[in-house]
Amino acid sequence: MAYKHIIAKFKEEAVLLKALTKMQQEKVTLVDIYGPFATHDILRKFTRESKLPYASIIYGLLSLTGIFGLMYYTSVIDYPINYGGKPYFSFPPMVVIMFLVTILGTTILSVLTFHGRSMVFPGKPTKIIDTDVTDDTFYMVVDQNYNPEEIKGWLQESGADEVFEKEF
Amino acid sequence: METTYTPKKNMYLLFAALIIIGIIAIITGFLTDTERTWSNILLNNYYFITIAIGATLFYSLQYITNSGWSALIQRVPMSLGAFLPVGAVLMLLMYFGLPQVYEWAQPGITETDKLIAHKAPFLNVPFFMIRLVFYFALFLSAAWVLRKYAKLEDENADLKYHKKSRYYAQVFIFVAAIFFSFASKDWLMTIDSHWYSTLFGFRNMVLSMYYGSAAVILMVLFLRSQGYFAKVNDAHFHDLARYIFRFSIVFGYLWFMQFLILWYANIPELTVYYYPRFLGDWQTLFYVELFINFVIPFVVMMSDDLGKKPKVLLAISTLLMIGLWISIFVQIMPGAYGPMKFGFIEIGMWLGYAGLFLGATFMALSKFSLVPKNHPYLEESIHHHI
Repeated sequence: MAYKHIIAKFKEEAVLLKALTKMQQEKVTLVDIYGPFATHDILRKFTRESKLPYASIIYGLLSLTGIFGLMYYTSVIDYPINYGGKPYFSFPPMVVIMFLVTILGTTILSVLTFHGRSMVFPGKPTKIIDTDVTDDTFYMVVDQNYNPEEIKGWLQESGADEVFEKEF
Repeated sequence: METTYTPKKNMYLLFAALIIIGIIAIITGFLTDTERTWSNILLNNYYFITIAIGATLFYSLQYITNSGWSALIQRVPMSLGAFLPVGAVLMLLMYFGLPQVYEWAQPGITETDKLIAHKAPFLNVPFFMIRLVFYFALFLSAAWVLRKYAKLEDENADLKYHKKSRYYAQVFIFVAAIFFSFASKDWLMTIDSHWYSTLFGFRNMVLSMYYGSAAVILMVLFLRSQGYFAKVNDAHFHDLARYIFRFSIVFGYLWFMQFLILWYANIPELTVYYYPRFLGDWQTLFYVELFINFVIPFVVMMSDDLGKKPKVLLAISTLLMIGLWISIFVQIMPGAYGPMKFGFIEIGMWLGYAGLFLGATFMALSKFSLVPKNHPYLEESIHHHI
């Protein structure tokens, strides 16, 4: 499924911001931005909608009802035991277990969803943009779109240190 | 940008009117039901002292964590602590009503009640008053030193005052953490003198910061609606909203832990506290308390975007002010008074105290520059963004 991406290398974040503004004006599809540190201006401009929080809420509610159902079934329907005269269905001691299992279920299911959605799994071949990507350099990965030559020109114009193509 | 807050004249008239309503409520209370009135005096004293201590804790916490974002609004929590001397005087007046509220202070009780006789070396009127004076001496002096260095910092641009403030912020946190816990035990827990909970003091001390931060939000929103604090932006509100969110979880946790352990152990001496609250007349309020203080702020503040909206913050903080009242009402009244009664005495006295509290706060606020002049983190705070 490998196909070509345009990659621009920047030393300065201000230059990258300029290029980003230009790309967004021309409605170019961006793939990702790599940098040595989080930059608020880039985060604010290059936002992506994620539905993961909604999925997490659904997982949380599922775990909550699931564990409540299990505890109700075991302590009231299947194997009722009288503990010191307390009613079979007593809510307070359930709360702690419900709280913990909700967190556990939400976390595990969210992590699995996140990895499934972003195609990260053990044994996945590494995708290396450039050897400097873990160093002090910024990279902007741009989709080929329909006008790769024009995009390269814009990137050069806005002051990228290097523009190249890579297949991954 | 306005630098000092100048209150409008009719605002103090409003506070005076509120205080007059409060005085009328106290007089009607003493004419009809003395016990209920003394319980309400204790309730309102504790309510506003909680906010004052909580706000000063909030102020101190900004210093010891070296927080930059809050430098712009730090005069608000500082002024909210100005009620403390008034609260000290009002709390001293409780001396005349001790037997009405506290079972152990009734003359001759030690002869009939063995458990109270056993606790008498600690729970007796003179020692109670000595402790009360001692607590307030510590709170007031620590808060006064903090205010002194804030004033000095305004006058001279010198980093040493900031460092002094930071040092005394640690002192205040230490003092409030230990002695406000003890004060809560003294003033509220001994009402049910047979009962005890080791979590009680800690719970009330920590939660004072919950309501302190809610009061800070309300004050900042009010000052912003008056045209001050133009530089306060989304990010500041977001940070304030996080305080509410985190403390709502703490509230839920502590509320439930105190209840669960006593419920599970099922020892008659200990369940006596929860019997009227969990099964008696107070059942509705018992759940309403949890709902207002935990469920609603938790669910609403879970969303990042809602925390940035001033209107949502206004609604939640106002709700928390009601929540604090219900919380203390449920802690005091079943033991001190008995039946659940809510009427003009409760509302009027709360209004009177609110007038006093707001008057003290605004007076303290107008004495200082609203934005600290020489605070080292001021620039960072003005440009705060997330």
